[in-house]
Amino acid sequence: MWGDPRRTRRALVIICLVALVYVAVLYWVEGSYYHSMITLVGIWAAMGISWNILSGYGGMISFGHASFFGLGAYTVAILFIQLGITPWIGIPVATVVGVVAAVLIGIPTFRLRGHYFALAMLAYPLALLYIFEWAGYQEEALPKRDDASLAFVQFTDHRIYGLLALALLVIGLLVSLRIEQSRFGLSLLATKQNEPAAEAAGINTWAWKMRAIMVSGAIGSTVGGLYAVVLLVVTPNTVFGVLTSALALVVVLFGGVGTLWGPVIGAAILIPLSETLRAEYGAMLPGIDGVAYGAAIIFVILAAPDGIFWNVRDWLIKRGWYTRPGSEGIEPPAAGTSDAEKVEQLSSMRRAEPAPSGGATMLEVNGISKQFGGLRALDNVTLSVTEGQILGIIGPNGAGKTTLFNVMNGFMPPNGGEIRFLGESLVGKKPHQVCARGIGRTFQVVRAFPRMSILENVVVGAFAGSKDDDEARALAYDALVQVGLADMAGALASGLTNEQFRLMELGRAVASKPKMLMLDETLAGLGAIEIERLLDVVRRLRESGITIVIIEHTMQAMVRLADEFVVLDHGAVIASGRPDDVVKDPAVIEAYLGKKWMERAAG
Amino acid sequence: MLQVDALNVAYGGIKALNGASLEVQEGEFVAIVGPNGAGKTTLFKTLSGIVRAMSGTVTFEGKDLLAVNPAHRAHLGIAHVPEGRQVFSRLTVIENLEMGSYPDPSRETWASRLERIYTLFPVLAERQGQLAGTLSGGEQQMLAIGRGLASSPRLLLLDEPSMGLAPTVADSIFERIEEIHREDKVTILLVEQRVAEALESCDRGYVLETGRVVMEGTHDTLMADDRVKAAYLGM
Amino acid sequence: MSATQIFLENFLQALAVGIMVGGIYGLMCLGLSFIFGIMRVINFAQGDFMMLGMYAAFYLVTGFGVLSFMGPYVGPFAGAILAGPILFVFGFYLHKFLVSRVTGIRVVSAEAEGHYAQLILTLGIALILQNGALLLFKSQPVSIRTPLSIRAWELGPFMTDGMPVLFNQSRGIACILAIAVALGLFVFMRRARLGKSLRAAADNPEAAIYMGIDVDRAHRIAFGIGTAITAIAGGLVASTISFQPYVGIEFVVIMYAGVVLGGLGSTMGAFMGGMVIGLVQQMSTLFLPHQLQNTAIFAVFILIMMFRPQGLFGRTSERA
Repeated sequence: MWGDPRRTRRALVIICLVALVYVAVLYWVEGSYYHSMITLVGIWAAMGISWNILSGYGGMISFGHASFFGLGAYTVAILFIQLGITPWIGIPVATVVGVVAAVLIGIPTFRLRGHYFALAMLAYPLALLYIFEWAGYQEEALPKRDDASLAFVQFTDHRIYGLLALALLVIGLLVSLRIEQSRFGLSLLATKQNEPAAEAAGINTWAWKMRAIMVSGAIGSTVGGLYAVVLLVVTPNTVFGVLTSALALVVVLFGGVGTLWGPVIGAAILIPLSETLRAEYGAMLPGIDGVAYGAAIIFVILAAPDGIFWNVRDWLIKRGWYTRPGSEGIEPPAAGTSDAEKVEQLSSMRRAEPAPSGGATMLEVNGISKQFGGLRALDNVTLSVTEGQILGIIGPNGAGKTTLFNVMNGFMPPNGGEIRFLGESLVGKKPHQVCARGIGRTFQVVRAFPRMSILENVVVGAFAGSKDDDEARALAYDALVQVGLADMAGALASGLTNEQFRLMELGRAVASKPKMLMLDETLAGLGAIEIERLLDVVRRLRESGITIVIIEHTMQAMVRLADEFVVLDHGAVIASGRPDDVVKDPAVIEAYLGKKWMERAAG
Repeated sequence: MLQVDALNVAYGGIKALNGASLEVQEGEFVAIVGPNGAGKTTLFKTLSGIVRAMSGTVTFEGKDLLAVNPAHRAHLGIAHVPEGRQVFSRLTVIENLEMGSYPDPSRETWASRLERIYTLFPVLAERQGQLAGTLSGGEQQMLAIGRGLASSPRLLLLDEPSMGLAPTVADSIFERIEEIHREDKVTILLVEQRVAEALESCDRGYVLETGRVVMEGTHDTLMADDRVKAAYLGM
Repeated sequence: MSATQIFLENFLQALAVGIMVGGIYGLMCLGLSFIFGIMRVINFAQGDFMMLGMYAAFYLVTGFGVLSFMGPYVGPFAGAILAGPILFVFGFYLHKFLVSRVTGIRVVSAEAEGHYAQLILTLGIALILQNGALLLFKSQPVSIRTPLSIRAWELGPFMTDGMPVLFNQSRGIACILAIAVALGLFVFMRRARLGKSLRAAADNPEAAIYMGIDVDRAHRIAFGIGTAITAIAGGLVASTISFQPYVGIEFVVIMYAGVVLGGLGSTMGAFMGGMVIGLVQQMSTLFLPHQLQNTAIFAVFILIMMFRPQGLFGRTSERA
């Protein structure tokens, strides 16, 4: 349960346990072969964590984490060999190199999506490989310094390397934990799930992605630096090669993508397996470990696409042997605490503005046009939204309603025209900035985080309302109260009914305490009774001081809900006014039912 | 010929069809009208197999249609002219028509079938070698219909042929459709948002609203009924 | 000779090699475009299909001795061509049992999930192929011997004291064959009913189903063809370079660069894109050290994806 201190405590306990087990095994087995294996488990688990931050939490699948790994390794090696600088300094420098590389890679590559991103990431380590080969760094061997072995991170007892790897792993786990438990993790998850929705909820997706790749790069290159110290030899192929990138990916994929423990589980299982394979059969069957990794990938992606961790956890939950901390029930923020006070303050601020009768104009849309190639999607659309009203935007299919919303929201710039919200122009602002100004929005396709609770799903929307994580939780809870889902706050978001999904989506949009709410087909596919309940919620939201603009097809409901209609057809406004009047307007009837119907009705 | 019984379909996360039932007799021209979101296109997609039904039955000429592999349904004699035309934009006009005849590529009858299509839509003959993506909306609609006819279907499904077309173009398309029904004796099931155009030429009609059939009638009874208007405008 | 003249000579030679290499790269990209352009399947194993083609040709020519009776002139090329059908069957069944589980109409609704699974699955296949090949064929680099690889046609010289432009015969014939195969494929796609149905399935899978085209089977065949074509390209290259099981990875990015450059969904564009990439690669040796010739390609690749993702021949709707 996000933000729940019990979760953090439990995770810390497990981290300690894992560390203890690691050290115990390290000191119990004999033989440097096994010590190396354990060290490698630590190293690849840490590398997996690096990958996991960008690609697991962030969803940006990278096939080129070898870039960071290799740069880190070479930084340490070159500093040592050429300048005689000890790896104790070299490794932190490698960390910085990793961050810089991450920024340089991120800026151009984040413009790409999905598979193009993965391809570009694949290209970077290959390019680096060629460059380093060409530059003459074919094989860099770290010199032995028996005179100052401690100063240069050289130990005869191989166990020490294992401890260093463990230290790195623990740091990685702590970073991961912090990310998971803070808005960093949830923002990434929201971005991964549905970037436009995240943006509209106020999340600056680009900024979070950059942070993710910077942390990922930092860890990745640090691991690479340690690897150089352990292996004492760095070649372009071992550190920039495909197998390195693949391995970072495989251990997480196998263990559990987007989880704290996935990389550890994956590394703990796969590394010993492949090392053993290589040792036993490597001479006869070179490449057998690669085959094993490939087979593991295929098996996992077909049978357990999210990785072992999730499957095991789901199974355990089903059996009742495991419950997520906090899922038994969420207590509302304790009355009288500073969080609850803040929430009350914010709510009352919004309610302070008097309900209108011919109140102030909140939103002005003036002459908005939008063209896609030859198609005129919006044609000189002008409308205004008065404070406290419910405005319904209706029109036949393809009239441009969703396009209008997308333009208002900042997803696409208009070709002409102006939009002013509370006097301030919105044109050119990104969606998360529009949200910060006080406009919330729901989307037609609702995608939830199925493995998280309703509260966790909604809290993403609260981040725009508060910089403090705890306060955001309080805001989210308040939002759930407003939409009537408060008693289900701890329930898992999977297995909700359609109506509950819509309410949850509404909750997310309301969590940032917006002044205006844009609802996109909230009633689609609901039955009559469900529609009634939802209409009630919308009315109560209006009474709490939120102005509402709603796109809807279900005319029966809209006629009773909206104060005013604006009718779009072929991108232009053909009528506006009170619902009773608009529905009788010949132009509107013609738009919906066709010219012949009008002619017949007239004649 | 076609019998749909209590069809329940979920699509795009919502329940698009809620126990819809209707039937089409051989040689008939049946129209389905209804406001947006009523489930009309979902119905066609279910008939063609793109979307799977949750429950209910569909029988075509005695056969259980839902049990047939989607790619084989065209071979049974059902031609689907999809919403938004969906021509193969990177193929030429003649290649599109050829694809339409995929279930029945026999060379002997092809020449006469092609000629019939060109008689109905002379502009297609003119633009034979042109890439379908460069045609105008109306021309693409003609191509889509021609493509549907190319296999000499037993049942022609037409999904919102007037969508996105200028009124006069839509009118001429409807005239052609009427002609096809009259002259070539093709059984037609038409889905349309524009009510009057659809009900003009049909023998019988259904009004679909929120996934179920709320009204049924003949051409005459439906044209005059105010409840049709209510279904669209809410009052 | 002046410096300009020397440069000009080098330029013409690079151009000549670039065209010949480009022809083969074009065929390679054509194969990928069947898979990537038609089905939007990212296939990391594409480079390894090429590698398999190389080894198939190699063993057909040397190992089985079946082709050695065709002689050292025709043999290698016949082996390359024959690698095609073998790899077609391989690709067909690979799609049927593995790839189709993460692609196809059913998966279209999963969207990003679908792509993610494709990436990972084909990465797994790539790892198995690379390392499996290492197991079976060992890491010793091999090549198909043909006397043609040391002979060259001469064009020119164009300047006094100058050198003629050399066209390596083995490369030249390989390039001609590559173009011939590509032409054959174009004819098949334009004229044959099966070819047209593949194009229809690629253009609009939903409409294709309405026509009664079995889109799943079409994808399977397209995957098989894509595998076969790339394998033939590999076989043709097998007599000009020495290769080992990991050779595929270099070619993956080159292939994608070519396909993206040419524009997705355009098979002609993919071929052209491959040619351009081949030219870029060879021309870059005029300015860059030899080892960095592929880096030039990567740079072009990234620039294309950022500034003109629809490629040279694609349409704006095909954005990244």
